[in-house]
Amino acid sequence: MMLLGIWQVGATLLDASVILPTPAETFRALARLLSRPPLALQVMATVGRAIRSFLIIFAVGTALGILAGYARPVHAFLQPLLVICKATPVMSVILLAFIWFSSGTVPLFSAFLMGFPVMFVQVEQGVRLISPQLHEMTVLYGFSSRMRLFHLVIPSLTPSIITGAKASLSMVWKVVIAAEVLTVPRYGVGSRMQMAQVNLETAEVLAWTLVAIFLTAVGDMLFLAILKLPKHIRAARASMKEMMR
Amino acid sequence: MRAQHLDKTYVVAGKTLPVLEDFSLIVPTDTITALVGPSGCGKTTFLRLVGELEQPDRGSITKNGKEEGPISYLFQEPRLLPWHTVLANVELVLRPFGADHHERTAKAMEFIELVGLADYAKFKPEQLSGGMRQRVAIARAFAYPGRMMLLDEPFQSLDSSLRWSLVKAFLRLWEADKRTTVYVTHDVQEAVLMADTVIRLSSRPMRIIERHDIDTPRNDRSLGDPAFIALQAAFYT
Repeated sequence: MMLLGIWQVGATLLDASVILPTPAETFRALARLLSRPPLALQVMATVGRAIRSFLIIFAVGTALGILAGYARPVHAFLQPLLVICKATPVMSVILLAFIWFSSGTVPLFSAFLMGFPVMFVQVEQGVRLISPQLHEMTVLYGFSSRMRLFHLVIPSLTPSIITGAKASLSMVWKVVIAAEVLTVPRYGVGSRMQMAQVNLETAEVLAWTLVAIFLTAVGDMLFLAILKLPKHIRAARASMKEMMR
Repeated sequence: MRAQHLDKTYVVAGKTLPVLEDFSLIVPTDTITALVGPSGCGKTTFLRLVGELEQPDRGSITKNGKEEGPISYLFQEPRLLPWHTVLANVELVLRPFGADHHERTAKAMEFIELVGLADYAKFKPEQLSGGMRQRVAIARAFAYPGRMMLLDEPFQSLDSSLRWSLVKAFLRLWEADKRTTVYVTHDVQEAVLMADTVIRLSSRPMRIIERHDIDTPRNDRSLGDPAFIALQAAFYT
């Protein structure tokens, strides 16, 4: 509320909607966006890219993280790549990727390069924290590799996987939209933002920003909801059993 | 089980640490042999060699047909999987031996009942006391078809009344299903109550100082018995 107030006062004082439109103008622009037909297409394109890159980061980061945690050579091989990944500015990744790939792929690729190290490092460090005593117990009690993976490694890693997923998820939205701004694929929130900026439609740029914030927030909420799902399922199952009695 | 001329040396921070030097020991089949010795004398190392967690530098360990195969191990800590229930912790070790889920669950429950935790089968380890967790570990060790049992001071961290009740629980299960057992401890009382043979060990490198065979049936043993007091005294000198 206070932010809205400051925004309103600032916009009134400046009195130049190209530089800072009033909240009312912005919300009007937002309403215009929301009523324009290809909106779903624009949003879904961005959401689709974000989800796909997140899933790729999640799968590859977890798998390679576990592998590198157990095998020194994999760690030694990936370490320099990781350092480069972390040190490269997001924008140069996007620009380079644009030279190599089509505009639709660039957001995926850039988001992967930015998000993967976060996920990977979390999981790899998680592997180091797996209790050697429990590991020894699984060896003595004849656990197969599969059993060890499902009953020791993955449960031990769950906190690290969640932390890594959370961090990489919020990064994915930003990188995907940034890549869309620079590469302007046919559909995408970032593309629209770029178009609006070129046309000096500042209210529309802000409106798209609101859409982006909304998407990120919904994404985080959904992620948390998914995390709570197993607990709810268990509770539901337990109450079902109670009722059957 | 026959251990012959075992050597084992560790290198710690550049220094060599001879733990076992030409160590030999015979453990009769289907008996409990207690190894009593000071901390750090190499008892645990010996267990790890028998359990094939490590290889000796020299020497050999031979087991007979009844002893060859999987091994049930009781550790100083319960070492339960914290995300699984008591039941799942016991049931899991039965999986490599097939049988369907119902049979495995039934067998796991049977042992959980035998250690007196039937009402706690659905609990997670963190919801149990230390003694109860160690009971679960005992149930797991007996449910698992280990051909030998290796015990590494499993009752040490518990207070004395709890310790005796666990020792009793262990012996009850053991009498019903005898397996060659090596039992490492530094508690002489526990050793003389539980073992068929008590072996006194020196500090590192570990040697056998003396060997006592105890013929008194386990049920008739009491720590107040003069013979036992004398035996305990021998260990403390």
